[in-house]
Amino acid sequence: MIPIEYFLALSGILFVIGALGVLTKRNAIVVLMSVELMLNAANINFVAFSSYYGNLNGAVFALIAIAIAAAEVAVGLAIIMNLYKTRDTISLDEINLLRW
Amino acid sequence: MIEYGAIYPEIILILFAVAIPALHLLIKSSRALAGISLVGILASAGMVVYYMVGDYPAIIGDPSAPLIVFDALAAVFSLVFLSVALVVVLASARYVEKDRHLAEYYTLIMMSTAGMMLVASAQDLLTIYVGIEIASMATYALVAFRKKDKRGSEAAVKYVIVGGLSSALSLYGISLLYGITGTSSLAGINEVLAAQGVELTTLLALALLVAGFGFKIAIAPFHMWAPDVYEGAPTPVSAFLAAGSKKMGLVVMFKLFLVGLIAIQANWDVVLGIVAILTMTIGNVVALSQTNMKRMLAYSSVAQAGYMLMAIPLATVVGDYAITGGIFHIITHAFMKSGAFIVVAALAYVAIGESVADYKGLGKRAPFLAFSMAIFMFALAGIPPLSGFMSKVVLLSASVEAAEITQWMIWLGVALVLNSALSLYYYVRVIKYMYVEKGETEARIKVPIALTAAIAICMVATVALGLFFDPVLELCSEAARTLFPALG
Repeated sequence: MIPIEYFLALSGILFVIGALGVLTKRNAIVVLMSVELMLNAANINFVAFSSYYGNLNGAVFALIAIAIAAAEVAVGLAIIMNLYKTRDTISLDEINLLRW
Repeated sequence: MIEYGAIYPEIILILFAVAIPALHLLIKSSRALAGISLVGILASAGMVVYYMVGDYPAIIGDPSAPLIVFDALAAVFSLVFLSVALVVVLASARYVEKDRHLAEYYTLIMMSTAGMMLVASAQDLLTIYVGIEIASMATYALVAFRKKDKRGSEAAVKYVIVGGLSSALSLYGISLLYGITGTSSLAGINEVLAAQGVELTTLLALALLVAGFGFKIAIAPFHMWAPDVYEGAPTPVSAFLAAGSKKMGLVVMFKLFLVGLIAIQANWDVVLGIVAILTMTIGNVVALSQTNMKRMLAYSSVAQAGYMLMAIPLATVVGDYAITGGIFHIITHAFMKSGAFIVVAALAYVAIGESVADYKGLGKRAPFLAFSMAIFMFALAGIPPLSGFMSKVVLLSASVEAAEITQWMIWLGVALVLNSALSLYYYVRVIKYMYVEKGETEARIKVPIALTAAIAICMVATVALGLFFDPVLELCSEAARTLFPALG
């Protein structure tokens, strides 16, 4: 059996990669992908802890989180595509009509 | 056999939401579709009221670790969300009539309301997370509703990315909490944390949860998205976000901290107090310099979220009294803020701009709109005898009471008073533009009856809650006590 620390290290690394991507990338689709990495890091935690505790709460949580993440990507991509249609760009630096 | 009584109000709403796109094949008029949505919302509210006067339905899930409990708290918040949905649908009936995809608009509003109601009755991080995502996903699409609008599509992209980030942060925090305690039930988490104390991982989870849900409520320093999104979204949707979506985040905070994490309150009460003070101060200070009405209202609702948030640290000392104030402020704010946004929507409908300067001379041109806007502005600033004043009084007295035991909490009350005084400046500026400055024309403005009705509902509620607050406070107090089962 693989010790739980390994899973935690994997998920921690994934989460940090995702967070760095959100902070540094300027392409809306790449940012959305980074968010997905962060969500999946959480899913790894859920599944790992679920098998560690031997209860199914975490596994169920992970399944539901995957479904929700898929829905979120669908809505997110549609919105980004709409941005591309109206503004011809998906760069987050170039969308600046709204600011104080 | 599972009893599903606890989610009947949501089920009614979702049935109507699913039926509307089908009915759209037969009915083309926006007003008729809005009418059907109103029937659905009222039916759902009727179900909630039926539970309130009778018995509350059976809980869903294992009694020791329940998933969904429809109690007084859920009932009060459900009614808040439903009344916000009601005024927003009423206001939208004419506002969106020239747009395409009308049926989807009403469907999304009702779906989102159902998600918020689910959050209000959820007792497990799983159901809370699902409810939040149902509500948020629908609002992402609502913000982008006017697909050709450049500002709307920009606002939607910002909202979807910040919303995704927020749900990723909170999900990771939830996964850590599950890892620490082995359960996702709020009561269960509290039990385990009380027994095993705090580790570094617990603090990390706490920080992630505050950041994740903080983005949803737009508390400082996670508020930067809110003004952009509220400004770019169609105005009734801004009203829905400010009055509905934000309250959903607050009810999550109430439950998470006061049910799930109360055992380790020493680790978060000061942090939340500081965040609350920061939020109200930043919101008000930035609002001072805003010239766009929707942006100003957005910053004002950032500030108001700070007032509501301060109930949580106060509740660690004075218990349900502080939360009573918090819930009362949530109710009053729902009406005054959605009212103010709908006045902006009504004026936009007759092609008056969103800038404060465009409101010159409105007192003559549209006496009813100007008067109701003045009421909402005074109520937001907290002028007696309007409702915004009463709810702030409860919060203030809670902070004075708490300060007798925990001294630093007096600063929450001081910040509340100073911020209210500060905010008076930008609220009254709107009134000055409307009544004192002369407009270019004096032509009267005619506004559709549905918009007028929505504004009238908000105005009556704003005035009435300030004058006859006793029964409502009673309800809030009953709702607040459900968070503190020890008090009975």
